[in-house]
Amino acid sequence: MNKLFPTQEIGSLTKPRWRVKGYRGEPLSEEEIAEAVNWGRKLRIENSDELVMLLGEKDSSAKRKAILEWSAKYAIRFFEAAGLDIFFDGEQWRSEMYEHVIKKIAGFKFLGHVKSFDYRYFNKATCINKPKYAEPFYLDEFLFAKENIEKEIKVPFTGPYTLVNWTFNEYYEKRLSREIKEFKRRKLEAKKQFIFDMIKEVTRPEISRLLDSGARWIQIDEPAATTNPTDEEMELFVETFNETVKGFNCTFSLHNCYSNYEVLAKYACKLRNCSQLALEFANRDSKQTGMGNTRKGYKEIKLFEEYGFRGDYGLGVIDVHTDFMEPPELVRDRILHVAEMIDDPNRIYVSTDCGLRTRTWEISFQKLKNMVLGAELARKALS
Amino acid sequence: MIGCYVTGILPRPKELIKVTRAYNRRRIDERELEKAFEDATVKVINTQLSVDFNYIADGMLRWQDLLRPFTENLSGVKMGGLARWFNNNMFYRKPIIVDDVQRKKSIVEEVTHLKYLPRNFPWKAILPAPYTFVQLSENRYYKDKTEFMFKYAEILRQEIQDLVKPGFKYVQLSDPALVYKPIALSLSRDELNIVNEALKVAVKGIPIKICLQTFFGDFSKILPEALDFPVDHLGIDLYETNFEKLKEHNFEKGVALGLVDSRSSLVENEDELVAVAKEIIESIYHFKTEEVFVCPNCDLEFLPWEKAKEKMKVISNVTKCLREEFS
Repeated sequence: MNKLFPTQEIGSLTKPRWRVKGYRGEPLSEEEIAEAVNWGRKLRIENSDELVMLLGEKDSSAKRKAILEWSAKYAIRFFEAAGLDIFFDGEQWRSEMYEHVIKKIAGFKFLGHVKSFDYRYFNKATCINKPKYAEPFYLDEFLFAKENIEKEIKVPFTGPYTLVNWTFNEYYEKRLSREIKEFKRRKLEAKKQFIFDMIKEVTRPEISRLLDSGARWIQIDEPAATTNPTDEEMELFVETFNETVKGFNCTFSLHNCYSNYEVLAKYACKLRNCSQLALEFANRDSKQTGMGNTRKGYKEIKLFEEYGFRGDYGLGVIDVHTDFMEPPELVRDRILHVAEMIDDPNRIYVSTDCGLRTRTWEISFQKLKNMVLGAELARKALS
Repeated sequence: MIGCYVTGILPRPKELIKVTRAYNRRRIDERELEKAFEDATVKVINTQLSVDFNYIADGMLRWQDLLRPFTENLSGVKMGGLARWFNNNMFYRKPIIVDDVQRKKSIVEEVTHLKYLPRNFPWKAILPAPYTFVQLSENRYYKDKTEFMFKYAEILRQEIQDLVKPGFKYVQLSDPALVYKPIALSLSRDELNIVNEALKVAVKGIPIKICLQTFFGDFSKILPEALDFPVDHLGIDLYETNFEKLKEHNFEKGVALGLVDSRSSLVENEDELVAVAKEIIESIYHFKTEEVFVCPNCDLEFLPWEKAKEKMKVISNVTKCLREEFS
């Protein structure tokens, strides 16, 4: 990108209630319909009265499909109106990042909910057969986004390391039970086989389809990247990324957040064809404006540099876990601080820490606008 | 004697999960939540009884994480943010130590459903071991981790004493940090000696059986020092431990063999587990076979309840086969 400090988001945006309930075929309140009308007006969406009509219709597969398209269209206009340079459709077609993919691949069975923390759980699947590509899981949403986005598109794509890490591995563990006696070695080998089959059978075929349809930039999301911070596992993570992107003519980046960056920093330079690391920093940083020591949340950038990472940074300057409204000046200082640290402003893409799905549309919109204004202030400061 | 039991927090059954989620969304009140916890506790206790476990635990369904009752109830400790629970896709709240840590009341006794524990069976309680509690906390008060570890060990002893009174016969101290590789990589002989001293403080004068249960890491890494720990039994995660290195040592204590994998949904082949257990028991007891327990390698809460139940059945069957082998 020619512009200094391009602005981007990471992927998710909260689904409006009319999207969630409408898709489930549940009745909507007046207030929920008004949300569609008001945002339609605010985002200057043509024919949003058609959406209101649609929401009143009886449940059908055609209606559900149309709701996904409307919702994606709203999210696209939302990012556009906030002034971003690079974005996608707010992942409006996806239930979330794990279930959405696993449900569309053959070889898996959901076992039910397991604890994540406190009273929060996730629906965990098990692999019971060799994973097999059954139907596209990102292609349709991409085709729609492509028709509706004029700016640069970055497709968020849940990486195979995370999918495997969040799934029980019955098929491969059973298959190796006669071959490898020691349980520990058996489990690790079973995990490796699972990962590389996933890459070959599922991940790469979908990337191929996206590229054939015109995708130019894919962001591999790997929140589980540093779950096992041993050398052996981190090497496996690097190998997973490299095998995933190997030979494709496309821009790839990696998003990882709320993780151990001391560990990731050591391995980031080994990622091949990874043009950008999109990382979460605002969450770790102080809220005061200023440079130098005030910017403690960004100290780990130094490690990435020392270990030799030379790609770009998708620099998280907006905390997605709080309603605190980062002023443009704070965004500016975060950008300028890192530009000085790495001595190259051209390697910075201005970004949110992670997807915005836990914030309301009102808060997200203001946060993104401030981010865009902050990037503009940083550009001015350097011009 | 060969026995069996659970080694940690059990998974919340489906109906309890539903209620806790509704509670989280403020759709139900405290009373309904309480009722659901009680019903589920009865259910998980009955399951342990139905598969003939030798010690019965209340299942710890309320425990949000292994440290939480202590994080919430010790004065001088503040509840911090979420942190990853070792190498799992599960998180705990970090205890932040901001002042001298004091125990004001019985903590574990209060969160345990004593009234549902069966009168005519021995009970087991599970608490965080000193090394793990200290490693997983953020110390902002004591001069170093060792000072804090001894302070916590003293509190732990009072906790255990309070569990002896209502009739607990067995206490497990969970110590994953002691063997988890990224933390324990640099654990020296001197550090293991300090752990030993802290354990002595924790178990001093306690008249019931104590087990130090390790998991998420290779138990052979803390051998031979662990053989001198002042506990009756040592718990070993066989899905992380190098079998050959383990077999090189002679044990004069009982062991709890983590033969069933709580982090895999694959239900184990019983014959294979019997063979592995037999091989280990025959190698580590050169002279006299001590007490042996068959158990899950760690908390079963990583599995959905139905799977955990199947695995408890496997534990029971394997125990029965081993009893025949060694009778």
